[in-house]
Amino acid sequence: MTKIGTTHWLLHDLKNRGITAWLLSGILTAFYLVLYFTEWLTPLAQGIGLDSKWTLYGLLYTVAVTLGGLWVIRKYRHNRYQVVRTSVVILIQATFAFSIPHLLKFLHQPEYYFSYLWPLKMDYLTPSYIFALPLPFIVYSFLGSALLVPIMAALFGKRWYCSWVCGCGGLANTFGEPWRHLSDKSSTSWRIEKITIYTVLGTSLLLTAMLFISWGAGKSNPELARFTTGFQSFYGLIVSSMLAGVVGVGLYPLGGTRLWCRFFCPMAALLGLVQKFGRYRITVKQNMCISCGMCSKYCEMGIDVRSYAQAGESFTRASCVGCGLCAEVCPRGVLRLENRSSRDPQEAILVQIQGVSASRPLI
Amino acid sequence: MHYVIIGNGVAGITAAFTLRERDRHARITVISGESDYFISRTALMYAYMDRMNLRDLEPFERKAYDKQKIDRVRGWVRDLNADQRQIRLEDGRKIIYDRLLLAVGSAPNRFQWPGLNAAKDGVVHFVSLQHLAECEGLTPSTKRAVVVGGGLIGVELVECLVHHGVEVDFLVRESWYWPMALAKEEGELIANHIRRHGVKLHIEHEVNAVRADASGRVVSVSTNKGLDLPCQMLGICIGVRPAVDWLKPVTTPPEINRGIKVNQSFQTTLPDVFSAGDCAEFVRPDGSPLVEQIWYAAKRQGELAARAMLGDAVDYKPSLFYNSAKFFDIEYTTVGDVTRLPDDATSFLHRLPGDAVSIRVIERNGSVIGFNMLGSRWDHTWFERWIHERRSMEDVMQQLHLAQFDVEFGRVRLDGVRAAFAEYLKTGSRRAA
Repeated sequence: MTKIGTTHWLLHDLKNRGITAWLLSGILTAFYLVLYFTEWLTPLAQGIGLDSKWTLYGLLYTVAVTLGGLWVIRKYRHNRYQVVRTSVVILIQATFAFSIPHLLKFLHQPEYYFSYLWPLKMDYLTPSYIFALPLPFIVYSFLGSALLVPIMAALFGKRWYCSWVCGCGGLANTFGEPWRHLSDKSSTSWRIEKITIYTVLGTSLLLTAMLFISWGAGKSNPELARFTTGFQSFYGLIVSSMLAGVVGVGLYPLGGTRLWCRFFCPMAALLGLVQKFGRYRITVKQNMCISCGMCSKYCEMGIDVRSYAQAGESFTRASCVGCGLCAEVCPRGVLRLENRSSRDPQEAILVQIQGVSASRPLI
Repeated sequence: MHYVIIGNGVAGITAAFTLRERDRHARITVISGESDYFISRTALMYAYMDRMNLRDLEPFERKAYDKQKIDRVRGWVRDLNADQRQIRLEDGRKIIYDRLLLAVGSAPNRFQWPGLNAAKDGVVHFVSLQHLAECEGLTPSTKRAVVVGGGLIGVELVECLVHHGVEVDFLVRESWYWPMALAKEEGELIANHIRRHGVKLHIEHEVNAVRADASGRVVSVSTNKGLDLPCQMLGICIGVRPAVDWLKPVTTPPEINRGIKVNQSFQTTLPDVFSAGDCAEFVRPDGSPLVEQIWYAAKRQGELAARAMLGDAVDYKPSLFYNSAKFFDIEYTTVGDVTRLPDDATSFLHRLPGDAVSIRVIERNGSVIGFNMLGSRWDHTWFERWIHERRSMEDVMQQLHLAQFDVEFGRVRLDGVRAAFAEYLKTGSRRAA
């Protein structure tokens, strides 16, 4: 509807795969290629007094999350969940993902990012890397991935990480906000997602297993050690650089903001599996949906939320990151993110039939 | 067996899917003149506001129709011959049915104001895809618009126009906004909210005459209070009526009053012809006609009409009224009786300070009969249950938190409401609603 020359044209074009969106996508992709595969940014970083291009990148990333986040907070200022969640995202990016690692470095400690965990950050369970760190970091790495991740996911769903803590999700939900609706909602893309994401998860598990074997038995088996090193750099190139960076962020204006999180992130895959069996769910109010489809449109993970809402089915999808935007945009207040099904009226009625007073909140 | 459904709105499509669920082999054909695929009419405003694409309005994936073997036919039906079990489309195509469902929905009301007929361009309604296209075509050349009609579609059109930077004069005939659904206090709360969005809301104003320029484009609207409002678009949103005009001249018309007359099993006066949704007219137990023009009723009727067509003994009774909406930013949930109340009904109203949040609970003879809530989210199923169980207002107020459906961290605090309610009980200030 919005045509060249009318108000909001630029905004519309940029948000809807117009020419400006392609242009921006080209710029973002080029930036990531330059960042990962050249040293061109190093002199620039040093010129402004930073030690490396990676520090410059971290600074830019933090600025993008902060500015985008402030804009998102303003946009959704009437929604406490969005305000709290986005504030936490900005805070974590500014501390755990930026200033604390550099402070550690300044104190001659390892540059450690507490907001990243294996298998998103493969290094943190790579024995040759992690065992070289001081003990507290080793303990945090292992306990973080083995206990913190699954327990929190079982209690609160994967959102505790994907839309509250993680930097990738953080950027998507702040700087990436204008493009969240571009995710593909078709059932075909859901099928593809299930294949790709579990392939990456399987690959990351295999790689970690091989890194441990190679660390233990590599000396007596140089063939294995060489293969594992090759595998590791292949994974680093394809998954960490290409999929997470170049594709993941470069294609924001064309494919939506969660391409990496939805199709490739091994951490999201793992959290999603736990989420399926945990307490988190989206509760659907009975018979109130008008099938308008705003929920599906604004789901960054490409979930066809409407198909559940119009059927009156409360649901938990492995891919749901709990950003809460479906509930925000719903004009009839049909959806609610919950950590427990306590408020389902039918269940409540069951409880009452069994003689428990409904006046007591059902936990 | 060939089931033919005229109309691919929510009633028609729900009927088609329900038929398929029960009968794997029958032929099912859905005919529509409006669109190739079922669209959500309620989302037209989001398409107009560029928040969605047209394709996003389709609630089902297109391949679902092939998968469910539901044939879609595009075209307007012009004739119905129940003796030959045949319908004829505008282009001459004939379709033979075994059972036919008329789910043809509503058409917008129009009032013959002086000058309206001369205005060939710039006068719009807002209930179909075709209307959306017209509105979109007119918007770039519109600086000011007048919208008539203080209901839901009116405020939706106003919101769309405001989004596109159009200055809007919004004419409401009644003494406050939407007295059909809102009491005076809430009507004023919403009116203030609408005004805060820059809309010029004129209460108790009616159109006197419409003026158009030489080319036929509307240029101004004058009101009964002497206002002369320049505009390039006139939106008429004064309600809808069953879209039954086309049925009157057909070979064998069914009996029509306001809508197509049906019994409690959705049967029209013609054999094997059923009707459901906005266009169907039932008879209430007291003999008065009942036409339900609301999404939820259409969906439920579509499902039940399909079951009647399959031969189930269906006895339709309208459910307790409920609805929800959003006026710009204010959400609204209503259940039961809240307006046009009997004299012995009393109501407790509390407005939260600062926010545009209000809570109204209505009781009669010691039991709650209605809820009207603005500005926060509620699970209406609790309200329905409390009304069905004829709970006392005291009991309901104590359990009100159970029905809250606000977002996490955003739950509206009910302490103030409870304190106000205690006061209301103590001072015996139960007043007529």
